[in-house]
Amino acid sequence: MTLLADTREAEARRPNPLAMEGIEFIEYATSKPQALGQVLERMGFRPVARHRSREVTLYSQGGMNLIINAHPDDARVSATAGGSPVISAVAFRVRDALKAHTTCLRLGAWDVPSHAQAMELHIPAIHGPGGSRFYFVDRWEEFSIYSIDFMPIPTINPSVPPVAGSSYFGVVQYIGPSRSADWMAYYENLFGFMQIPDEERYGILPKGKLMKSACGQFLWQLIEPDPTMDFMESQEKLQRIGIGTPDVGATVATLKRQGIEFVESEKLHPEDRGALTRTELGSVSFELVHIVA
Amino acid sequence: MRLIDGFGMDTISLAGPLEAKLEAMRNAGFTQVMLSARDIVGHPGGFDAAVAVVRASGMRATGFQVLRDFEGLSGHLHNYKVDIAKSMLQMCAAVNSKVLLVCSSTSRHATNDLDAIAADLRKLAMLALPLGIKVAYEALSWGRSVNEFTTAWDIVCRADCPNLGIGMDSFHVFASKTELNAIEELDATKIFLVQLSDFMWQEAPTFEERMTTARTFRVFPSEGVHSNELIELVLRLEAIGYAGDYSFEVFNDDYQQLPLPVVAERARKSAQWLAEDVLHRPLPIPTFPA
Repeated sequence: MTLLADTREAEARRPNPLAMEGIEFIEYATSKPQALGQVLERMGFRPVARHRSREVTLYSQGGMNLIINAHPDDARVSATAGGSPVISAVAFRVRDALKAHTTCLRLGAWDVPSHAQAMELHIPAIHGPGGSRFYFVDRWEEFSIYSIDFMPIPTINPSVPPVAGSSYFGVVQYIGPSRSADWMAYYENLFGFMQIPDEERYGILPKGKLMKSACGQFLWQLIEPDPTMDFMESQEKLQRIGIGTPDVGATVATLKRQGIEFVESEKLHPEDRGALTRTELGSVSFELVHIVA
Repeated sequence: MRLIDGFGMDTISLAGPLEAKLEAMRNAGFTQVMLSARDIVGHPGGFDAAVAVVRASGMRATGFQVLRDFEGLSGHLHNYKVDIAKSMLQMCAAVNSKVLLVCSSTSRHATNDLDAIAADLRKLAMLALPLGIKVAYEALSWGRSVNEFTTAWDIVCRADCPNLGIGMDSFHVFASKTELNAIEELDATKIFLVQLSDFMWQEAPTFEERMTTARTFRVFPSEGVHSNELIELVLRLEAIGYAGDYSFEVFNDDYQQLPLPVVAERARKSAQWLAEDVLHRPLPIPTFPA
């Protein structure tokens, strides 16, 4: 018994306590799935599969999986955001989903009850910021979770080439005033994320605090509100997705041809380090960040 | 901005319905209130109605009390207390309180291992974190392992979590006779709540005496016999840079059978004494109609 207890303690202090291996999918909740789907398609995603029992569609681009959840119970969260889509979940790849989930609960995470139907996967989850959820997925190497809960969309090739080698770079989270220390403690405690020094910055929006995932495969940016603006606590949320690309210029050019507009002001405009898409549907924008191929 | 804005009353000092308590406080000039879970769940209209009353009052919640006997348990007892804590946190968030008060455990089933206690409080702080709630851990003077603020501070340091700090209650500090110069060891930004009260006895040496006095016969600051210590306490807190709220945690059986405005007026005098005579707070700048 002692040996077992010691082993568990030792594991908890490892640099990657949940054995995280990147992002499996990011989910938007919305009551306007077609409108959001059109934005995603202009961003280079394609719908590749539909959920067997819910109004949920999987979009794909290279290694990026993006889910639009329009199931009425889940889409309700977007109603509070004025009908705009909200980033409602991020699923992390881990070595052992049950173990990752149990570890997080032991450390003080809020459990999310599963609503899996018969024959569907029960993907364990905890509550994240602003009503979002963090899922833990361990079946991503030998087979895909989508082959169980989803039906492929006929005639669509599920292997969608990424725009100029794009991949998930990270997630931007808006937080309340003076909440950086709190949220950094949350991600460090539960997931083993590490703070990146303030001098080390990526992209064209170098604000807030930046953390690196324990697996080193993605970043998490925490941004406090502009002190001159009014802020309501309920506005803490996952704000936007960061997409990494080895060639920002080529990616911007391709996306512009597909109808995506970029923020082009004097201070903020596409450059080699990155670019920011104009907000669509009231809340949806993507940040391109230069990565070394 | 009023002179007594940094001070608030606790609902536990007054008898009667929540609406009447809040009105009496507001009429006495208070803008904040320390809420007790009992006042919220005991409302005749139910929980939601009580939350609506608090929100409509326009008063800011100083904090929400109280989670007891949480830390140091194991197995099913721990799981049970985590469930209770989650419910308390949800109530705390519903009344828009940013601070949950947690009192040190009196349970003989709890461990006295300070690292285990720290781990439990860190877990509680993690549960509170997404809700934007800070956890104020307070040493009860009859707590089993933790009965002085110095030990509570030790545990908060061990847990090392930004939203976990200490709550101080002058009654418990005086009852346990902790040296006030230990305040210098504290980090003012990790003191999330200071509760003030006095009492009429010079000494409360046993746990039983402390409990009885604490629950039935506390008085407002300036009304008891420890005014000098109370002055020293708040001056030392101000000296280390404490800029948070002071709330009057006055359990008193006599006040429970007096008209609410009478008790609230005693509280106002006490706040006035602290603001003006003790802390020499600057008078607010008068505002003139445009």
